[in-house]
Amino acid sequence: MPQSIRSTTAARAAVFAPLAGGGRAELVAQRLTDAIELGLLTHGERLPSETEMARQFGVATVTTREALETLRERGLVETRRGRDGGSFVTAASRTESIDRRVRALSRVELRDMGVYYSAIAAMAAELAADRATDDDLEHLHDTIEAVDATSETSTRRGEGTFRLEIAALSQSARLVREELRLQAEFAPLLWLCLRDQAHRERSLAAHLEVVAAIAANDGPAARRATVGHIAEAIEWLLDAKADLEGQG
Amino acid sequence: MSQTLTPTVRDCIEAVGSTFDAVFARIDSWRSEIEGLAASGDGVVTVREVDELTETLVLPSLSADGALTIGAGYVATPGFLADAGWHLAWWLGHANTFGVGSADPSVRRLEAEEDPASENFRDYTTLEWWRVPAATGARHITGPYVDYLCTDDYTLTLTTPARYGDTMLGMVGADLYVNDIERTLLPHVRAVGGPATVVNASGRVVVSTDPHRPTGSLLRTDAPAIACGDTSLRLVLG
Repeated sequence: MPQSIRSTTAARAAVFAPLAGGGRAELVAQRLTDAIELGLLTHGERLPSETEMARQFGVATVTTREALETLRERGLVETRRGRDGGSFVTAASRTESIDRRVRALSRVELRDMGVYYSAIAAMAAELAADRATDDDLEHLHDTIEAVDATSETSTRRGEGTFRLEIAALSQSARLVREELRLQAEFAPLLWLCLRDQAHRERSLAAHLEVVAAIAANDGPAARRATVGHIAEAIEWLLDAKADLEGQG
Repeated sequence: MSQTLTPTVRDCIEAVGSTFDAVFARIDSWRSEIEGLAASGDGVVTVREVDELTETLVLPSLSADGALTIGAGYVATPGFLADAGWHLAWWLGHANTFGVGSADPSVRRLEAEEDPASENFRDYTTLEWWRVPAATGARHITGPYVDYLCTDDYTLTLTTPARYGDTMLGMVGADLYVNDIERTLLPHVRAVGGPATVVNASGRVVVSTDPHRPTGSLLRTDAPAIACGDTSLRLVLG
C-alpha cells in the first residue's frame, strides 16, 4: 500500500537477482556498476561477501571475485582486509563511469535499448489514456510540477517517477515491473540528454504532451508522444557517443 | 429497490459486501486497539509501542493459510507519534512476494523510507488510500491499482482513519490481491446471468463476466448500478 514511501526493497532485490547466460563475471560487474551509478549502493556501503554474493547471484565464488576485481579496476569499490574488512563502495565519478559505458556499447545496442524501452513505455501510455481518471490526471500534473528543470538530479528523478506513474496507470502489473527493471538497467544511459538544460525543458514539455493525450483519452497520441520523446533521447545519446569517440 | 432484485443479484451484492466487510471488521478491531493505546497514554504514543501492538494485531491475519490479506498495518499521521515524524508499521504476508526472489517468503515488515530528506522518500498523505478517508472520515477502498512499492502487484487497499479525540492519528488498513478477489467473487457475479460487472467508486472494473471489460478499465455505461452493501463498490448489470 504505501506507494509513495519509496521502499528500496524491490530495487535492491533486483540488484541481487539470479543471472542467466554467459560472461557472468562481466554481468555481475555491470549489475553492481549500475547499482552504484543509480545510487542504490552508496558510498561507504559494504557489499556482501564474495561467497554471499555468489549465492545471491547464483554464480560461482570465483565469478564474483572476478567481478569485484573489475569494479576495483573501475575505481568503484575498494577492498580492505582484517576483521572489519570487506569490499566497500567508493564514490567514483558518475560522469566518467557513464561515459565509459556509452563508449563500450555499440550503436546497435543503444538503438535496440531504445526500441525495447519504447515498446514498454508506449504501450503503458496508450493503456493509461483509456484507464486514467480525473484524479489520476491531477496526480500526474503534480508529479510534473514537482520537477525543477534547472536541476539535473530533479529532472532525472522526475523522469523516472513520471514513467513509473504512467506504467501504473496502465493497470498492468507486468508493465510496471518491466518499467522498473528497465529503469534500473538503462535509465542513466537513456536519459543522458538530461545533462543538457534544453533537453530537461523538452522532457517536461513531452510529459505535458503525454498527459494532454491521456486527458483526451487519445491512446495513439499518448503512444506517439512517448515514442517520439524516447527516440530524441536515443539520438542525443548517439551524438554524445560520437563526440566522446571523437575525443579519442 | 430491493424488491426488484432477483435472488442471484441479491446473493451477488451480499457476497461482495460481506467479502469486504469481513476485512473492514478486522481493520476496525485493530483500529480500536490502536485508538485504545493512544487513549491510555493521553495521546502520547511512541514508535516502539505502536509497532509492538500493530505487529501482534496483524500477524495472525497475515500468517493464516488462504488469508486474503497480503499486507496490513498502521500508518501514522505525520507528527502524531512522540518520537517520529513519518512512520509506517506495516507487515507483508507470506503470500506477498514483494522484494523477495523466492516463491515462499515469510511474514515480514515493510522497509519504508521515512526520512523526508532522502531521495526515495515520498509523501504518503497525497495518496488515495490516505487522502480520501482523511477527507471523508470514513473507510475507503483504493484500487484496483498496481502498487509498485509494497505488493508489486495488482492490489486493493482498504483503509480506515483512527482517532484520538478530534485528532486523526493515522490510517489502519489492509492490502488484498485483485487476483484473490476475482477468484472469490467471480462465481457470485457469474451466477447473476448476463453481463455483470463490479466497479469501484471511480467506475473502475474490479471483476466482470464480460471479457470485453478488463479489470482496471473504466466502465463507461448508463446501465443501472446497485450498491454492494456498505462498500463503495457497485454491481452494474447489462
